[in-house]
Amino acid sequence: MAISASTRPKPYLEAEYCKGCLRCIDACPKDCIAQGTEINPATGVVPVVLDLATCNGCGLCIQACPEPYGLRPENERTVDAAGFELEDPAALFGPRDTTAPVPVDIPDRHLPLPASEPLVLKGTYASALGALLAGCRHVFGYPITPSTEGAELMAKVLPKLDGAFVQAVSEVAAVNMMYGCGGAGLPCMTFTSSPGFSLMLEGVSYMIGAELPGVFVNIMRGGPGLGNIGPEQADIKLACRGLGHGNTQAITFAPSTPQEMLDLTRLSFELSFKYRNPVVLLGDGYLGQMTGVVRLPSTFTKPGLPAWAVWGDRDHRRNLVSSIHLSEPDLEQHNLHLLGKYGAMIRDEQRSDLYRCDDAEILLVACNTPARMAKGAVEDLRRKGIKAGLFRPITLWPFPIDALKAVLPGVSRIVVVEASPGQLEDELRLALDRADVARPPIDHVQRYGGILPQQFEIVDKVLSLCPVQSGEVMA
Amino acid sequence: MSVFYKRFERHSHGEGLKGQSTHYCAGCGHGLAHRDLAEVIESLGIQDRTILVSPVGCSVFAYYYFDVGNTQAAHGRAPAVAIGHKLANPDSIVISYQGDGDLASIGLAETISTAQMGLPLTVIFINNAIYGMTGGQLAPTSLMGQKTSTSPDGRSTFMGQPLRVAELIAQLDGPIYVERVALYDAKQRIKAKKAIEKAVRLQKEGRGYTFIEVLAECPTHLKMSPDQAEKWVKEHMEPIYPLGVKKDLTVEPWWDRKAPSFEADKLLAIMGAANGAPKRYSTGFPTHLGGTDISFKFAGSGGDGAQTAALLLARAAISEGFDATHIPSYGPESRGGTSYADVHIAETEVLNPSAAHPDVLIAFNAPSLAKFAATVKEGGTIIYDSTVITEVKNMPPNRRLVAVPLTGLAMALERPMVKNVVALGALQGSTGVLPVERFLDTLRTVLKDKPQLLPLNETAFAEGVRHATPVPA
Repeated sequence: MAISASTRPKPYLEAEYCKGCLRCIDACPKDCIAQGTEINPATGVVPVVLDLATCNGCGLCIQACPEPYGLRPENERTVDAAGFELEDPAALFGPRDTTAPVPVDIPDRHLPLPASEPLVLKGTYASALGALLAGCRHVFGYPITPSTEGAELMAKVLPKLDGAFVQAVSEVAAVNMMYGCGGAGLPCMTFTSSPGFSLMLEGVSYMIGAELPGVFVNIMRGGPGLGNIGPEQADIKLACRGLGHGNTQAITFAPSTPQEMLDLTRLSFELSFKYRNPVVLLGDGYLGQMTGVVRLPSTFTKPGLPAWAVWGDRDHRRNLVSSIHLSEPDLEQHNLHLLGKYGAMIRDEQRSDLYRCDDAEILLVACNTPARMAKGAVEDLRRKGIKAGLFRPITLWPFPIDALKAVLPGVSRIVVVEASPGQLEDELRLALDRADVARPPIDHVQRYGGILPQQFEIVDKVLSLCPVQSGEVMA
Repeated sequence: MSVFYKRFERHSHGEGLKGQSTHYCAGCGHGLAHRDLAEVIESLGIQDRTILVSPVGCSVFAYYYFDVGNTQAAHGRAPAVAIGHKLANPDSIVISYQGDGDLASIGLAETISTAQMGLPLTVIFINNAIYGMTGGQLAPTSLMGQKTSTSPDGRSTFMGQPLRVAELIAQLDGPIYVERVALYDAKQRIKAKKAIEKAVRLQKEGRGYTFIEVLAECPTHLKMSPDQAEKWVKEHMEPIYPLGVKKDLTVEPWWDRKAPSFEADKLLAIMGAANGAPKRYSTGFPTHLGGTDISFKFAGSGGDGAQTAALLLARAAISEGFDATHIPSYGPESRGGTSYADVHIAETEVLNPSAAHPDVLIAFNAPSLAKFAATVKEGGTIIYDSTVITEVKNMPPNRRLVAVPLTGLAMALERPMVKNVVALGALQGSTGVLPVERFLDTLRTVLKDKPQLLPLNETAFAEGVRHATPVPA
């Protein structure tokens, strides 16, 4: 039915919502609107006044009003001429400001995966398969050595699974694509390496603030700056203490075999959704490139959809992804909420691997590939009569201090083995300090610049600390 | 106007007047663009499907008002966030609503790349020639001579000239519809709403990327009354930023993405996982080579195939039920340069995958031999390509030297590339690390999609075995 001039609604104005910008005055062809003369006591501004005697309901003034509840068609009136609300106040002031329903979680499904023979895979590939098994079908990345193979594999296989790999314009864009996809409630990830991870950190902070899941596989390379493409572990500080600005923490895994690259990538997705927080998986350049045996799990995941997702349908219409809390008390509450989550992670998510620690007097502490050199060194040292053991943190944050505490009583020395200038050692010292436990002296074997500590260097160091009776020295 | 929340609960908890008024200053163009967009979303019937991305800038609080799915984004990143949403749910209608600092300064890389990518997304670009939220600084779209708090003497060429974004976007291949509109009078406002309607509708129809630049008023930071600001936009901005359609392609709907697959069989096939246990050929672990964990180093130049040979050895050992690792190490060159590979084979678990002191060295050239011979363990084996290494000197004592003309044998097969498989044969022949059948089985597995290459590789392997010096009894 065509709307005629006589049936077109005329404008009406609730004076409180007029900011006095006067843009409607010029818009009115009939000069029905004029600047007022009285200050509105509620707002302190002078609203326009309407004289609708000649109004033909053209609506141009309404289109000129920047305020949603400023000039409105008469038929949307909610307040009568005497200022009484025409609607049920509960509808106006109740908890719901939208007609959208309250969404509910659609749970993940864990489907059986037929048994197969072990695969022979490099670390980055193993991580990629772990992501596929975790239900990830969206990968965003930017090529950077030595992580690129993971992205390349995803670029090859995801189209076959009707998923998407996007090579972003930069790491900055990649992390924000994750923000969007994670915000829509789907598992997504990136493969990157140290300089790229640096670029992503602002986005990681936003994801933590907005409580979004997402998995970051950072195959650490030599730094600082462009450095080189050799293996290093000098992003531990970034992952554990420097995830962008603000109060940020994320579970940080340090796998040491291709199998763990697969297993821990899967677990990263699970925990990322459990806590609505990014998860970081730190590999070193060796591990990314290292090929080893990988056994597939017996199930894989078909992701559901969390209630909080901004998915783009009626059920999720009321949702918001945002890290803004403008009022200080609100932001403090939000930080307390995040601290609560971090506390739960510290309590429930510490993971470690203990190798010959039961009677260890010399405790090597190492993660990633250097932990394997250290494992070899434990055997060497044991052959020389030294009771060595390896404590391998699998989570760097939270540091697995509870398990470490249990083995410390018999330990006379700790030797931290790492390809960084003490970033793992700092985590260890901080964890020991916070746990307030007596600790033995701490020494270390460190290499930098793309070189990993070698087994013989570890053995030499330990021997220099506690020479064996036989005086046997490694060649 | 059901697309605006009845009450702006997110605006200072909806208390007092804030529950129904915006945070925008009096006369701000954002409010008008919001109204247009809200009406378009309603008239197209897409309220439930719409996701509004509002990045940093005055419009960062758009989620206070629009009763749609909302995502607040970092400064400049809205298009990237929009891509994430659109790919997650291809049925969603994703609108990125950005200001000039956000879109044309800090987010320019995302702006251009997303436009060129051409996914069905809609970008509403509010150009008011100034930074609003941070308090009136120079924008990439500020006019020449325009005084702002960071161009107190007026914009000069030193600060660059105003960026015409609609024209920039229109000359890309990705977008299908680009228009610049204004809000300074009733006629322009009608055109603006029509343009926004068309842009969102084209996305809804799955036709492509659309971009609307809106010349808007910022009376506060222009330090003008709203009507002066309208006039300023018309008289000063419009000549620099001419209104009108910049690009309008007729494109058939094409956006039709299937839901991702979660089928076990497909997943296994993609992973290259095979059913059924591989045949075992070994009778036990080759402890004669140095205990229960043996290490190998393959060393050559890029193109020698050292990595492939190393990987084949690791695969063969794993198929035999042992643990094995392979670590490559390259020089920085994509082609040529050095190429080293460490392999470990262990009866149960490889502890340390690095081969600083290998049991066996396979050297493809003289520098590699010179570099690594001394690292080989006492009693270990050094296999080298005697075609290219004609002079062997300063070899450490107590190592077994095995000379095999790897290149020569491969050349005789008229395929120099197979010298790495010859090397594997030589390794088998001189160490007996794994049975011959084991290697052949692994070759058949890795070449199952290229069966035509199998006979050549089998011959190459056999040649290597034949020319190797067997392990002394």
